[in-house]
Amino acid sequence: MSTKGTRIPEWLTVPFAGITPAPTQEKGQDLFPTGNWRSIRPVYRDKLPPCNNACGTNEKIQGYLDLVKRGKYLDAYALIKEDMPFPSVTGRVCYHPCETACNRGQYDEAISIRAVERFLGDLGQALQRDVVKPGKPNGKKVAVVGSGPAGHSAAYQLARLGYKVTILEKSPKAGGLNRGGIPDWVLPQNILDREIERLIELGIAIKTNTEVGKDVSWDSLKKDYDAVVLAVGLTDPNSVRAEGENKDGVIYGLPFLRDIGMGTSKVKLGARVAVIGGGNTAIDCAREALRQGAVEVTMITVEGNPKEMPCVPEDLHDMLEEGVELIHGRAMTAVLGNGKVEALQLYPAKFSGAINASPITINKDVAAEKFAVDNVIIAVGQRASLNWLPQEFKNERGTIKVDRFGRLGDTNFFAAGDIVQLGSGQPLMVVNAVGDGKRVAFNLDKALRGEALEPRKIAIDVIVDLNRMNMTYFPHFPRVQQSMLNPTSRKKTQDEVILAFTEEQAVEEAGRCFSCGTCNACDNCYLVCPEPCIARSDRSNGLYKILVDYCKGCRVCIEECPTGCLEGVPELDFDAGVVRMDTAFAITPGLHGRQAQELATLASRPAKEI
Amino acid sequence: MSYTELSVWTRGIIMDKEGRDIVNSISASARKEGKFAQAMENYVDNPDRTNCPTRKYCRVSDTVLENELTYENDHPNIVVLVEGTMVKGWDYMRGMPPGGTLVINTHYTPEYMVRFVPGADRLAQLVCVDAAKLADHKWLYYRLGQLGLDRLSTEGAAERGKAIAPDIAAPLIAAVVKTTGIVKMSTIQPMIANQKAFEMALNELHVLPLKPVAA
Repeated sequence: MSTKGTRIPEWLTVPFAGITPAPTQEKGQDLFPTGNWRSIRPVYRDKLPPCNNACGTNEKIQGYLDLVKRGKYLDAYALIKEDMPFPSVTGRVCYHPCETACNRGQYDEAISIRAVERFLGDLGQALQRDVVKPGKPNGKKVAVVGSGPAGHSAAYQLARLGYKVTILEKSPKAGGLNRGGIPDWVLPQNILDREIERLIELGIAIKTNTEVGKDVSWDSLKKDYDAVVLAVGLTDPNSVRAEGENKDGVIYGLPFLRDIGMGTSKVKLGARVAVIGGGNTAIDCAREALRQGAVEVTMITVEGNPKEMPCVPEDLHDMLEEGVELIHGRAMTAVLGNGKVEALQLYPAKFSGAINASPITINKDVAAEKFAVDNVIIAVGQRASLNWLPQEFKNERGTIKVDRFGRLGDTNFFAAGDIVQLGSGQPLMVVNAVGDGKRVAFNLDKALRGEALEPRKIAIDVIVDLNRMNMTYFPHFPRVQQSMLNPTSRKKTQDEVILAFTEEQAVEEAGRCFSCGTCNACDNCYLVCPEPCIARSDRSNGLYKILVDYCKGCRVCIEECPTGCLEGVPELDFDAGVVRMDTAFAITPGLHGRQAQELATLASRPAKEI
Repeated sequence: MSYTELSVWTRGIIMDKEGRDIVNSISASARKEGKFAQAMENYVDNPDRTNCPTRKYCRVSDTVLENELTYENDHPNIVVLVEGTMVKGWDYMRGMPPGGTLVINTHYTPEYMVRFVPGADRLAQLVCVDAAKLADHKWLYYRLGQLGLDRLSTEGAAERGKAIAPDIAAPLIAAVVKTTGIVKMSTIQPMIANQKAFEMALNELHVLPLKPVAA
């Protein structure tokens, strides 16, 4: 390429004519500032991955998967602990809405996010000291009523903010639903105990056997604490309003699991057990019944087929593997027997509406079926028990009335978890309660400091379309499966059914993450830029810079970005940062300009000079 | 005696033909009207590379043009930017005497674009015309953000016909002629291939009148 006629900056002139540094040589690019060739500018703009959006507490999932992939387990654990106080628990019990939303599910199989979370949680359990520290004390006292997922989460976040937190728990052991609603073979008690210890290490006081309305009154809560979080959960089981429901041998699902969890169970099951209900608690009850000595367990649901059941499909599969029978489209109308359950009266039934919560229509035109059993476990949901709550704070759903910030009127009382979420359209699950607890804790902090409160954040630009990413970089790769105990042997023991990932498995599974819409420092843009005009100080999200003096807007980086975090923005949308450049190519009058000046003066000059 | 210089700034390869059409048609019309005119392209801008800046020049005069050896316009009275983004990139206003005209192909308003113009105080008017839209230039307009990927082009690949101004050049020529009167409308209009876009542009110009200050 000729540089004839170009203005070469002084510092670039070389002693011999015609040789200028190539763009690849030092300072060589300065001769060819091609940035003004550009009509679009590449911009790094991180979007929200669908897993983060689906997660009840918005865990930065792609963030910790990326760290696990690079072997930075402790960093990954610290990242997860920002939103989730007990990854070892949710790594076992979570219904993983993140995996349902995972974009990889559209491509081959969703990432086993929960298994990686459990790997990190177990790593955290083994640490001598936790990575999380209490905040600088601010001298304010907060009571958290209930030590279930929402209460645990709220207390944890408040302690990190520097509050002196006291948890009031009515049961003899802390843990709430984590202890009382989840069987040992899903979540071993020692795992939960360790997480409760972590709370105590944060300086949180836990008062067990303390019930609000009995041991502590509403007024004393108001008087003794600067603020209160009510996370009491749903404690009373729903009934099916069948005849003879008070007979001996009729058990309710949640108390059944709770008593076993607390170690106070006196139930002795017969050989034949029926479970009424089709949700996750019903499944847990059916599987627990096998472990409590039942031989034949039958699950009776109103739903017409397994797909309609409001449960996690894997758990249903595991239950069927263990030998539980399913009967669909039936409702129990009466419990028959002389003082003790002997049989159930069943009628064909279906939900009258499209959703599972709608009333049931029972077809009594056909003859009733008799189903012989020794015990029946009724697991059709729970409701709140709020006798101690002032009437003004109750709503028509029988739960606590809060505003969109989780606050009760203009008091310093906040409520979180199932007690707020029941009937709100939000599925009731541990992780949603944790997220609610977290948000309420932050709002409580804001309220006490007199700042404006924040409702749940609206998801911005969630990537759900694979076309926005470059799938060329992602080979199909099967999901790493978690090993499980053999169904015939596991159904008689309390051993954990699903086994943990090994380190290699966790790293392999984390490596499958697409990092949808979020830069994971893959260095691809840095490598493919033909100029090169992408600079970075370190290989990390946020440290990549586009040198706009040279970027020609060729879009190669945008097209090649695997995650879709690079966007082409029209150059004219940037009304600041105008870079007006002298190119090497004759922007200045140069030789031609000088020639023209000479020609203009030619006529007036004496012939001799010419 | 009148003497007018017109400089067209355009993008290498993808809009080469458009720029060339503007200077060629205007100079041809001027000659038809009995004036003296020159039209030429710039050779130092490396025009065989996609998106690189390229210039085309035109001079129209009532008297004989004596300068036949240089082709850069030192004092352009009219500047046309065939692609809107170029407004940020260069000092295309260099040497413009007060009272000049700047024509930009863009969907933005002149009020927005004026912030990017260096030395806008020399302008008598800033004209914006959404030429790509008026010419319904689907290939160019809808792929504007992707043009850099058009790696298969060689010089002249965008010239798909020998017609004068079949595409976005037509509205730009209309904008130049209507706002400056460099040639007569009746002379130039029959030359233009895309009559529809030319006529639409006559009604859809966005002109921002400015008060030029003597330099």
